[in-house]
Amino acid sequence: MNKYCKIFSCGCLLIITALMLSGCWNRNELIDLSIVLALGVDKVGNEYEVSVQAIDPSSMSRNRSTNRAPTTVFSEREPTVFEALRKMTTKSPRRMYVSHLRFIVFDEATAREGIHNPLDFLFREQEIRPDFNMAVAKDCKAKDIIGFVSPTEVLPGMDMYKSLKISQRVWSPTSAVNVREIMSKLVMEGVEPVLTGLALHGDIKQGGTSENVKKPVPLANYVYEGIGVFKDDKLIGWMNEDESRGYSYITNNAKSSVARAKCPDGGKGWFNVELIRSKAKIEPSIKNDRPHIKVRVQSQGNIGEVQCAVDLMDPEMHRKFQETISNKLNVALDGSVKRAKEYGVDVFGFGEAFHRKYPKHWREWKGRWGEMFKNELVVDIQVEFQILLHGKINNPFTVEQSK
Amino acid sequence: MDRQQPQHHIQIQSEREQSDQLKNVGEFRSALKDNVNTISKILGSSSDLIVRELSISDHSKVALLYLDGMIDLKTAQDSVIGPLLNQSQEEEITLDYLANRVIETGEVSTANSFSEAIEQIVFGSLILLMEGEQGALIISIAEWEDRTVMESKAQPAVRGPQNSFTEKLRTNTTLVRRKVKDTRVRLDSLFVGNFTKTEIALMYMDGVVDNKIVKELHQSLKSINKDQILEGEYIEEIILSNKQFTIFPRFYNTDRPDTVAAGILEGRIAIFIEGTPFALLAPSLFVDFLQSAEDYYQSYLYSSLIRVLRYFSLCICLFAPSIYIALTTFHQDMIPTHLLISIAGQREGTPFPAFIEALIMEVTFEILREAGIRMPRTIGQAVSIVGTIVIGQAAVEAGIVSAAMVIVVAITAISSFVIPAYNLAIPIRIVRFIFMLLATTFGSYGITIGWVLLLIHLCHLNSFGVPYMGPIAPYRKRAARDAILRFPFRSRDVKQMSGTENQE
Repeated sequence: MNKYCKIFSCGCLLIITALMLSGCWNRNELIDLSIVLALGVDKVGNEYEVSVQAIDPSSMSRNRSTNRAPTTVFSEREPTVFEALRKMTTKSPRRMYVSHLRFIVFDEATAREGIHNPLDFLFREQEIRPDFNMAVAKDCKAKDIIGFVSPTEVLPGMDMYKSLKISQRVWSPTSAVNVREIMSKLVMEGVEPVLTGLALHGDIKQGGTSENVKKPVPLANYVYEGIGVFKDDKLIGWMNEDESRGYSYITNNAKSSVARAKCPDGGKGWFNVELIRSKAKIEPSIKNDRPHIKVRVQSQGNIGEVQCAVDLMDPEMHRKFQETISNKLNVALDGSVKRAKEYGVDVFGFGEAFHRKYPKHWREWKGRWGEMFKNELVVDIQVEFQILLHGKINNPFTVEQSK
Repeated sequence: MDRQQPQHHIQIQSEREQSDQLKNVGEFRSALKDNVNTISKILGSSSDLIVRELSISDHSKVALLYLDGMIDLKTAQDSVIGPLLNQSQEEEITLDYLANRVIETGEVSTANSFSEAIEQIVFGSLILLMEGEQGALIISIAEWEDRTVMESKAQPAVRGPQNSFTEKLRTNTTLVRRKVKDTRVRLDSLFVGNFTKTEIALMYMDGVVDNKIVKELHQSLKSINKDQILEGEYIEEIILSNKQFTIFPRFYNTDRPDTVAAGILEGRIAIFIEGTPFALLAPSLFVDFLQSAEDYYQSYLYSSLIRVLRYFSLCICLFAPSIYIALTTFHQDMIPTHLLISIAGQREGTPFPAFIEALIMEVTFEILREAGIRMPRTIGQAVSIVGTIVIGQAAVEAGIVSAAMVIVVAITAISSFVIPAYNLAIPIRIVRFIFMLLATTFGSYGITIGWVLLLIHLCHLNSFGVPYMGPIAPYRKRAARDAILRFPFRSRDVKQMSGTENQE
């Protein structure tokens, strides 16, 4: 029986050891937690105004009362984010549980001043999973966005999170930036972070009430608009839609998108293509001691819509369509690079490419890469667009009719 | 039989009295009347003792003694009484003569002693005493009412043999013998239990079985000194009492002849016990309890999938409530956001912590299950309706427990019935409560610790010298083919099928 005594005492020992691991002693019943889905940080004077969107679980249960909002917004002003979060317990009976944080919004003032202060907490806190997305509130307060009542999903945080994910997938000018990405970009040399912009359109006041979802056409709506360009952790400017699209192509973030161009040969109307896949290759080289970047983008897509009367079955026309769309994209990409150069911020990671290929040169350059990117870097962009399919019909039916 | 514990002392005394009583009867007397009187005195003139005296010739008188209902009356009539009355020999009738020339039944023997003759009466023999002879004939025509061979209730199968054992040992051994027609099949019988004198039969294949285990079993069975052996569990407990302690079963019990036949072919020993339709198989390993006979009667692909499913349900049965508790009280970050919100919505307004909630539901279920088994079959329906309403609806509607918890308890309960061997489901159910406790106190860390300890314990066990977790740990490739999956028959031969023997 001695053996069993041994095993038994070993078991007891292990369990007693567990008692000392206070890290494991964080038992929380679900009814003592407020699940936070979204968090907003506004700069007010010298303090951060932190707003959290906490789920009201009773409104998610079966016998929910309809006149309660599905989420509650708490906000608190403190010089640090962590303090503000803890201070919220003075307003709520439950602890703010931030593991399921989906979404963080900074207002423009915070972003322009630098986001590393709030980011420090977000990385340090062990409860937070680094899989949330971030955005910068454009022309409105982060608190307004946090308190926004969304029309589709019951939970606004979920609504915005999903919208960002899907728009990045099928509409390239947004960029769903994961917190992990921004962290690695902040510490990496030769590449600067970006954050997507989030704006509220319409009646912002009404957008924060349940009136917003009582009508088929919402009184207010949120929109992902453009990409905010950061230098280190400070926002310095915005890219418009076309430039944002260029950014997505160059950084290989365009998974599926729609590109539009004027019909070739002076044809009337537009045509557009649905991007299926796109691959950008960045090839750095050094010519006459000046850095050169060649960006080769190979994209494939299908015709999505044609407004002009042309015979698409004609190989010549097909080639022209491809050329037109390639040129159009070339211009967009060029514009994007131009805008970045204007800001003097290498958001594309060209510097990183040099770092890899020419580590020796990079050591000289990295101190003044911002300047070099702005003035010396030559960027050569080549877009090759290949049109694969025409959809269910080949020619526009006006053309078919005339045949 | 705990109720009889206080009387134990008295029982032992009376047992001694009885054996003294039998010892004191001494030798046969020559007067028939004396012998008959002694016997009926010893049996306390029981009302079922029948004494039939016959005059088979002018100067020969015999007496037949038996217990009513214990012998086959028709055989007694046709093959014993009839021939005795019709015999025409006039002189020098001896017991030997009757045994050899007159009595027509199969088993007739001469009693060695008076006490043996008396003892044989209670075993269901017909005793023949003769005037002037100091001896007795024991005519074995024991026969009593028995259940017919019916479908297996404990381990039913969709396809495959449907018959099952009965309470009669001979029927059971015959059912197996008829499946394995090999001369190497051995059957050893012995009687155990001072009062019950229960017949126990060991059946095994000579040459396939490990003789050491047979010897060991023989010895431990012989050394049993208990008053009563009424079921296999008595034997299991007594044999295992001086081995490693565990709540996990080390005897497989079955009422299916085909399972026993397969078992002895694999080198196991079957233990039949008179009076119970459940035979024991030893040695039995952990994987055996998760196999069912039907696995071999369905296509191997299907059976393999079903076996994997069984291991899966075993895990659910063991872990589902504890994982639920751990996730909802410690590791909320591991639950997908939508699910967490939904669970949080359900937990809203429930008064108890998750562990108490789980405990309430699990105990309620155990009560219902026990009630369902003990209850007369006709009321079973009512219990299940009440159970469904009480557990399923009212508790949730009243806001006492959350709906998610009901789902967890329900899936746990159903999973426990997927385990084919009932005696494995019992320890799993017990261990489940321990895991729930660990989960409440230490979260998944506690579950991991518990799981490691459980594995250590299981790997440490052996069943008659065979590692209990074999052929998985220690891993034996060929034998493992029939452990968790079922490989096609062509890829293995019968002998290697066993998890038990590995004697290379």
